[in-house]
Amino acid sequence: MNIGFLHKWKSQVKKGTLAFIALNVLKDNEYYGYELIEQVKKHTKIEIAEGTLYPLLNRLKKENLVTSKWVEQESGIPRKYYTLTPTGEETLLQMRTFWFDLEKSIKKISK
Amino acid sequence: MKPIKFTHTTAQKIYDDYISRIKRVTAPLNKTDREEILMELNSHIYEGMIDKTGENEIENLVNLIEKLGAPEEILKPLVAQKKLEQATKTFNPTHIFKALLLNISNGVVYVFFALLYLTLFGFVFLIIEKIKNPDNVGLFFKNGHFHLLGTRKPDTLQVLGLTEVLGDWFIPVMLPSIIVLYILITLLLRLKRKSKKI
Repeated sequence: MNIGFLHKWKSQVKKGTLAFIALNVLKDNEYYGYELIEQVKKHTKIEIAEGTLYPLLNRLKKENLVTSKWVEQESGIPRKYYTLTPTGEETLLQMRTFWFDLEKSIKKISK
Repeated sequence: MKPIKFTHTTAQKIYDDYISRIKRVTAPLNKTDREEILMELNSHIYEGMIDKTGENEIENLVNLIEKLGAPEEILKPLVAQKKLEQATKTFNPTHIFKALLLNISNGVVYVFFALLYLTLFGFVFLIIEKIKNPDNVGLFFKNGHFHLLGTRKPDTLQVLGLTEVLGDWFIPVMLPSIIVLYILITLLLRLKRKSKKI
């Protein structure tokens, strides 16, 4: 086995699917950054450099897939909550379709 | 941003250091973007510290920050992207210079843009030269075709078969050309930024 290649491939797949994962977690939910990361970790067991999620969220916001709002807290340190936009919802559905098709194909060829 | 208060002075120092690193990395950005990034990461640290069950404050903070990653690494793509956005919006040469510097490792195309701007800068230099040595600088043609935009000694022109075609019009033609090219290149850069893949 080529461990080096496998490692690189895994990190590429992770990087490529992080947006898909984040959008899935945000579907029907409203989370602030830390919470979102905890959810991703809980559901996927994927080790991610947590800090990279913030630039990602920023990009999703620029693409109009998510919106955010600051909510004041008693502590004086506000939370920034993210939700999907209607565009985000629609895009996510298309992404899922693509993903499931891909999964089917891979299952078929990896028998 | 409201800073977090820690019980241990060591934890406070580690936190302060991390915050000042974020500030340093985001320094090229405008105030709103800087504050936004700082507040969000500060919130992450605050929520993380509350969530941690361990007894040791210093250990909790170090773990949290380690998982978050070095500001220099996690924020680099974000800063590069935002700076480019700002630069192509304002047409400010200083912003453009900094944006290209930040993005130069993101692809050959930015090296190409840097070269385009450098060429333009060369044109500005030519105007300055024209003012200093009016007889040496010009747009030279050879047998009716473009040969050189630059400097040639007046006494060698005949030997080389060159004629200067712009004359006194050199600066009046070059200056608007530089401005038009500058706007064009910057619009191209904006187009490139917008077409950037996710």
